[in-house]
Amino acid sequence: MAEEHAAHHPTIRQYVNIAILLAILTAIEVALFYIEQSVDAFTTSMAAPLLILLAILKFVIVVGYYMHLKYEKSLVKKFFAVGFVAAVVLYTVTLIALGVVSGIV
Amino acid sequence: MADLAHVEDPHDIHESTGIENRKLGMWVFLSSEFLFFGALISNYLLFKGRTFAAGTIYPRELYDIPFTSISSFVLLMSSLTMVLGHNALANKDQNGARTWLFATGMLGSVFIAGQVFEFTEFVQQGMTISSNPAASAFFMLTGFHGAHVFIGILMLLSLFGISKRQGGLSEAQGLNVELVGLYWHFVDIIWIVIFTIVYLIP
Repeated sequence: MAEEHAAHHPTIRQYVNIAILLAILTAIEVALFYIEQSVDAFTTSMAAPLLILLAILKFVIVVGYYMHLKYEKSLVKKFFAVGFVAAVVLYTVTLIALGVVSGIV
Repeated sequence: MADLAHVEDPHDIHESTGIENRKLGMWVFLSSEFLFFGALISNYLLFKGRTFAAGTIYPRELYDIPFTSISSFVLLMSSLTMVLGHNALANKDQNGARTWLFATGMLGSVFIAGQVFEFTEFVQQGMTISSNPAASAFFMLTGFHGAHVFIGILMLLSLFGISKRQGGLSEAQGLNVELVGLYWHFVDIIWIVIFTIVYLIP
């Protein structure tokens, strides 16, 4: 079990480095929140897409490295992707139909 | 019959896809949870920017971003301790696994305590679940996420208790740690989305 685990998963040092990266990305997100409230309209309009981009990055890092999806068989990836894509498509279409999405991005 | 002769104990085999059935089941469950939380997030977005009766208090007026940022940091770090616990068990370090599982449960408890404090503050300032649809959507979304964290804490502490009582977790029980870990990281990624969409984007 230990050999198999070591061959497929990150090391402790890599796990810690990933956590540091996640903490830095969170700090950037919070900084962006304060910047968007205090500077010009252009920066404010750029903040929301940047915040979404950072959230996607954190999401991918946690799923890929902490949940080990990167190292899983394709069947697992497909099952996980189906639910995620279904949710994103279903609710994006719903929010567009209700006129909400244009207001947040 | 001849094929079965190669199998030492057919009851030990719980897969027909190359992936342990319980593990595949957990991934399917987590996949379905995207639809559950997607509905709650969409519901919040639907009411987020709207105004209702005069004098009512909206969630966006009460957010304490520094406080919630620390809560988010705590939950992120609990994902690190969770993965370190799983790693320790894989390396047959039972004491390490037990310590990291307990640490993860405690960090989750700190997050829940923060959420209880936040909810209490909001109610004291006049925003309840029935104040307006935006407040209702906020409490539903963050409340259900908190309930998921609470269930995760119960599972973590159960594993900790079993490990303590038995003097360690067997390889078969190691799969339980992996499944709880998957659940815990999922709760973390949902919070990553909630923190950005609910708290940070105006």
